[in-house]
Amino acid sequence: MRKFLGNKAAILLFTLPALLLYTVIVFYPILQTFYRSTFEWDGLSEGTFIFLDNYIRLFQDSIFYTSLYNGLVFAAILAFVQIGIGTVLAFAVAEGFRGSKILRISYFIPVVLSITVVCQLWLAMYNSEYGLINKVFEALGISYRQDWLTDSKTAIFAIAFVNAWQYMGYQFALLLAAVKSVPEQYLEAARIDGASKFKAHLKITIPMLAETYKFCLVLAITGGLNAFANMFIMTGGGPGNSTYTLTYLMYRSAFRVGEFGYGSAAAAFLVIECLIVTLAINKLIARERITF
Amino acid sequence: MKKMAVTLVSLLAATTLAACGSTSEPKETSSATKAPTAAATTAPAKADAKPVKLRIYAQYADEDTKTPYDYAVAELKKEMPNVELELDIQAQDDGQKLKTYAATGNLPDIFQAGLDIIDTFKKSNNILMLDEYVTKFGFKDKMQPSAMNTLVTDDGHTYAFPYAGNEVALLYYNKDLFQQNGVKVPTTYDEMMAAVKAFNAKGITPLSIFAKEKWPCVALYDMFVTRAEPGGINKLDKGTAKAEDAAYKTAAEKIIELVKAGMLPKGATNLNYDQAAALYHEGKAAMFINGQWEIEAATKALGDKAGYMYIPAADAAAYDKGKTAFSGSGGPGGYAVSANTKDKELAAKVASFISLKYAEYKFTNRSNPIVATKVDKPVVKQFPPMMEQLSKDIPKITSTTAFSWGLSNPKFKAALEDASQNLMTGNYTADQFVKDLNKAAVTAK
Repeated sequence: MRKFLGNKAAILLFTLPALLLYTVIVFYPILQTFYRSTFEWDGLSEGTFIFLDNYIRLFQDSIFYTSLYNGLVFAAILAFVQIGIGTVLAFAVAEGFRGSKILRISYFIPVVLSITVVCQLWLAMYNSEYGLINKVFEALGISYRQDWLTDSKTAIFAIAFVNAWQYMGYQFALLLAAVKSVPEQYLEAARIDGASKFKAHLKITIPMLAETYKFCLVLAITGGLNAFANMFIMTGGGPGNSTYTLTYLMYRSAFRVGEFGYGSAAAAFLVIECLIVTLAINKLIARERITF
Repeated sequence: MKKMAVTLVSLLAATTLAACGSTSEPKETSSATKAPTAAATTAPAKADAKPVKLRIYAQYADEDTKTPYDYAVAELKKEMPNVELELDIQAQDDGQKLKTYAATGNLPDIFQAGLDIIDTFKKSNNILMLDEYVTKFGFKDKMQPSAMNTLVTDDGHTYAFPYAGNEVALLYYNKDLFQQNGVKVPTTYDEMMAAVKAFNAKGITPLSIFAKEKWPCVALYDMFVTRAEPGGINKLDKGTAKAEDAAYKTAAEKIIELVKAGMLPKGATNLNYDQAAALYHEGKAAMFINGQWEIEAATKALGDKAGYMYIPAADAAAYDKGKTAFSGSGGPGGYAVSANTKDKELAAKVASFISLKYAEYKFTNRSNPIVATKVDKPVVKQFPPMMEQLSKDIPKITSTTAFSWGLSNPKFKAALEDASQNLMTGNYTADQFVKDLNKAAVTAK
């Protein structure tokens, strides 16, 4: 086996197809996008080279700042809800109690639902006239009826929550698997030393989940910055352009306005933004690997 | 782990890019472009002509688009039995699919095109100029004189055979609701405000609008503008007026005031057509805004109770003067021909024929007298009374503007759509509105 793994030709033979595929479908389009972002281009005709003009325009565009802000809000809500609630649920289910198996499955159900179905469901719940959420406030006697999706200030929060809710099950599954893989003897030792269950988890389990959290955080934040489908279905970016994200700005530029070059600049910015965030997370949560 | 994360991000990025680079869903065209040989180019109208298959990209979504298309195709079978049409149903996607077809050199032989498609395809040489065929097939003679603006674009050339005439946006109302509640049909902004307050007091929605779509918001704004500036949004689009001009700013202010007073249903910017129309059709909303194509549905739901009103204005004098300025209009568009089709004349002939028959059916069977071409066949289905009224109004119209899809500057169009939708929320100022429009106008090319 060792001899085989040392064979450079064999390594090349087996990795080449994957590498080739990756280059063609991932790397090449990214390069193309960067290249095209330096053009004034309608997607069909030749296009004129304008170097960085698209980027300069991007930084002067108020929609860009709205999009940037919304992307960050979206990412923050995703990270907070998915990882926060996901952790609580993972610990609860990992403890194992009557019905925990059913809960484990039910938390995951929204993940497998189509995003369209989920959005339609929440559209009905958010409805300002007869939606469930306002009705609950009404039933409780609290006067807090809201125009959830049509108020330009609250809309992005409402939409982000839908996405956070839908994919929380996914983060929960990852966290649960990680919690379960923490060796029992560590917790047992802590318990013998007189630590409470809460304290044992806080001091032992959670630090041991660092790698998992890193992964979950990257997922949540890049997912938030990239968000598109939810606003496309639920508000169409509206009211006005209050629920735009960079992906939506890209869509609007390319397909509604016919400025593919400008859209590519937004896309290129998004790639850079995601890379920076990923590298930052990796740097900040860097720690020595724990081996069990 | 690091590697994995980076890979993951790259993957995410790639999916994002896929949306931008090319939403290509290339469809096999081999069957579609089995085009006629050179021998078949001489007006193949007879049954002995060689069989030809043409690919056509057309609207085929509801009764209003399916039945006229089916009729046109059936008529084509009689006239040119050798031509077989392969239908590719038009997607509601701002022309993305069609543009992708063009980008991948896969454009259907015939396609429905609006002004933005014509402008884009003109630049990239994808659309066939039809000037010679318009006269050769006698299409020009069949045009309604009042609809000639739908035949020729700004550069003086024809790129599509139009079928839709100059359509208008109307403010519908429920006569019974106004009468029962003792509300005067408004002629001025003050009366409109009084009506809004009166209906709200009774728990009736004053005006229903499907503002999740952006064009009805633009239409409502345009209606208010036309009272003081008959050129409406068209003037902004052409750059002959500025958003800060009194007519444009006042219209925004008035709408904001009315929206704040509760003119629109709650959550209006999240209502789709079905939800908004239901409010009006079920007598829960006193007014409704839509194009003239709503006449049939409104009459079906409300019968004699349905009507349309002239838009209120600043005062009585402006109201009388503004009655003849209508919002909406038509622009160049219709069935166009790909520049790369094998037999250009044949494709143009089929496109022209389909347009004529499409309009004919809309006129005779769909209660729609607003078509681009003259129809010499008798009406099968009588026009509803509102349509009769509109037919009388049309000759008196002194000016029309545009629907948002008739605007020529896509950047301004997108900005106006977003800003108009914002007007419907009530938490937007007229100054902000002007600022947002100016931004698009200044950098517009």
